[in-house]
Amino acid sequence: MKNTLAMLLAGGVGSRLNVLARLRAKPAVPFGGIYRIIDFTLSNVMNSGLNHVGVLTQYKPYSLMKHIGTGAPWDFVGRKRGAKILPPKTGEKDSDWYRGTADAIAQSLDYIYRHQPNFVLVLSGDHIYYMDYRAIISFHDQTNADITIAVREVPIENAHQFGIAITDSQNQIIDWEEKPQRPKSNLASMGIYVFKTDFLIHALENRSGHDFGKNVIPDNISSHKVMAFRFQGYWQDVGTIQSYWEANMDILSPQSDLKLRDWKCRTNLEEEGLLGDRPPSYIAACASISNSIISPSCRIEGEVVHSILSPGVVIRKGALVQDSVIMHDTVIGENCRLDHVIVDKDVIIEPDCQIGIGANTCANQKFPTHLSSGLTVIGKNSHLPAGMEIGRNCIINALTQPESFDSRQLKCGATI
Amino acid sequence: MKRIMAMILAGGRVDELKVLTLSRPKSTVPFGGMYRIIDFPLSNLMHAGIEKVGVLSQYHSASLVRHIGVGSSWDMVGRDRGMMVLPPFKSAVNSNWYRGTADAVYQNLDFIDQFAPDLVLILSGDHVYHMDYRELVDYHVRKGADLTAVFKEVPIEAAHRFGIATIDNEDGQVGGRLIAYHEKPQHPEAAWASLTIYLFNTNVLKQVLAQLMASQTNSYEFGHDILPAMVHSHKVYGFKFDGYWAYSRTIGEFWQANMDLLCEQPPINLHRWQVRTNLDHRNLRDRTPTVIAETAEVHNSVIYNGCHIAGRVTDSIIFPGVTVEAGASVSHSIVMFDTTIKRNCMIHKTILDTDVVVSENCQIGGGAQADAIQPSDMDGVTVIGQATILPTDMMIGSECVISSYQKATQFSSKIIPAGRVV
Repeated sequence: MKNTLAMLLAGGVGSRLNVLARLRAKPAVPFGGIYRIIDFTLSNVMNSGLNHVGVLTQYKPYSLMKHIGTGAPWDFVGRKRGAKILPPKTGEKDSDWYRGTADAIAQSLDYIYRHQPNFVLVLSGDHIYYMDYRAIISFHDQTNADITIAVREVPIENAHQFGIAITDSQNQIIDWEEKPQRPKSNLASMGIYVFKTDFLIHALENRSGHDFGKNVIPDNISSHKVMAFRFQGYWQDVGTIQSYWEANMDILSPQSDLKLRDWKCRTNLEEEGLLGDRPPSYIAACASISNSIISPSCRIEGEVVHSILSPGVVIRKGALVQDSVIMHDTVIGENCRLDHVIVDKDVIIEPDCQIGIGANTCANQKFPTHLSSGLTVIGKNSHLPAGMEIGRNCIINALTQPESFDSRQLKCGATI
Repeated sequence: MKRIMAMILAGGRVDELKVLTLSRPKSTVPFGGMYRIIDFPLSNLMHAGIEKVGVLSQYHSASLVRHIGVGSSWDMVGRDRGMMVLPPFKSAVNSNWYRGTADAVYQNLDFIDQFAPDLVLILSGDHVYHMDYRELVDYHVRKGADLTAVFKEVPIEAAHRFGIATIDNEDGQVGGRLIAYHEKPQHPEAAWASLTIYLFNTNVLKQVLAQLMASQTNSYEFGHDILPAMVHSHKVYGFKFDGYWAYSRTIGEFWQANMDLLCEQPPINLHRWQVRTNLDHRNLRDRTPTVIAETAEVHNSVIYNGCHIAGRVTDSIIFPGVTVEAGASVSHSIVMFDTTIKRNCMIHKTILDTDVVVSENCQIGGGAQADAIQPSDMDGVTVIGQATILPTDMMIGSECVISSYQKATQFSSKIIPAGRVV
């Protein structure tokens, strides 16, 4: 196999994930109990036998840097292997921050020069999927392409959210539309690109703008060989609260193609407060659990239905948690009721709270585009006083303390 | 601050644990849902900041060597830290197996010398307990002792199983000078049992080991040979411990120690103890979170990552990679790594070692106990050895022992009555 260097774009702000991505970059958002979103891409790199990966960070990089560490959890430590964090470098001007995906790679060219790869594989840290990159790399090699883009078929009504490829019968891309109003095809870009290294350097030097999808790809369609590599299988951009919740629930569905057991996904277990120091979970005699994912060191005394629990979650007696995602070390007090709720890490919910109650009558008033499907989201380190009644589409910001609640009731669509 | 290092005796097999120690020493028998027994003393060392450790191995060392790795799981890798497995070896002057606990340490005195410690802490890797060794070290230094050993009070009727000391009242509940010591006395006069934790001044350790080797003896044990003599010749102190300590030398005791994890306030507080294990052993890193299916029912149980539970699990310890299919029921049992229990099986009061497959419709454990003429130390528990494949429709009674690596075709009868060994 040709020598390929992976470059992982992990600076995503993830603003539509709202409070979940306020204090961390989108790739660092916890997922599936013990993972973070970026684990899926990093594990794919590991499982594809690629030995070097550069991780480009920008927005709130701390939890991401802590998480990646030396790269040892993904087997990137060794004489001929490595995972390196590539932060933006302070140059002479403020505008030296990464101005887009292509600009980020352009600023990291010295890292690419040092490795002298034949190909550069550009990845995004924002997606949940399993893929062996060796297939797209050998396709790229065999077709002697300058760029190969991984694409998948999407329902035509969703195509306007993606970069769309129009191909000929040989899978060569002959036209490209970035988030088109009236898409001419349903082949959506997955944000995975393979470049010939020489061509990548040339294209970046002559780029018309700073983004691959908006600038570099369309600029070169007519002059160079740009191929589409068709991918079939589970792929989810967990960029919205609703799609994040759905992808979590897909883990619980036997019909879904999201098969954690087969995907060989790894995470960093040594990271402070993570699995290295955690004992198994204890499920009490009075507990009841069905169709759920349980991580280590939980303590479950109440009822859990169709939910995802991260490590260290405590569910007290008489509480009922259903269709919810509960992150690390959150405590849910006695006789609470949670329905369609995403609770971030280290939240304390005092007894007798009811969250996600009533009908889904209106979208979140402050962020109607982020939250309208009926999910309620509670930010990290919040503390909810006893007896709260919280409706649907509500947002409780991170670090909210009991005194911030004026009344015991929060109506559908409220934000604190 | 004294320089201190630890030597852990981890190479022993225990006959009473039967198939559990067929291909591993007792120190690496799985315990508590994800751990090995030796994780408890190793984690104690880590928390006490004792970071130079020799692990003495002998019986079936592969599982121990793999589990210890480079010691990084217990934070033992660094400029001034290190952990090493020490198997028996041949040399120009000596080519013996370790002939006992004292001989094992004696043969590795050069290893100890490399670190030039002031104190050597000698431990067993076979016991489950939580202890801050720094308190022991403080006491030892304060008393100016040559040797301080740790004791716990046991019921007098159980005292014949232990090394038993008479301790004077010098420091009340903290400890005192050892007046007498007898290894497994037939008629014990005291009830302070040795936990086989010995803290020696290094020069004293060397001196008493040299004396033992020069004597006409064929027994080389700290408990049997060194302690009784030292009581008269040296300053020996007993340090009293009143926390939880699981001896687990029989199937019944091992089972009970695991069951001790299952209550609202267990005496083994895994959260507080912060026990670590090697997550690379048995690929714990690759395990996905546990799936509890719609048909499942789980009560009063301990469970780690990597399981798939579709049946009923009550009062049990479930290790990573265990599958319990729909319609199966597991109660009061210990199910170790990657064992599969198929549909409609009933498992009660049974220890299933790793990689066992129980085919459909088996009934294991429970029912009438074996005849009471020969009292057993199994306390009604049945044990199935590692990687054995049980065919469908087997009925296995209580207190049975099924050997490791049995294939389904090797079972000639579908019924194994209580108390049998197969």
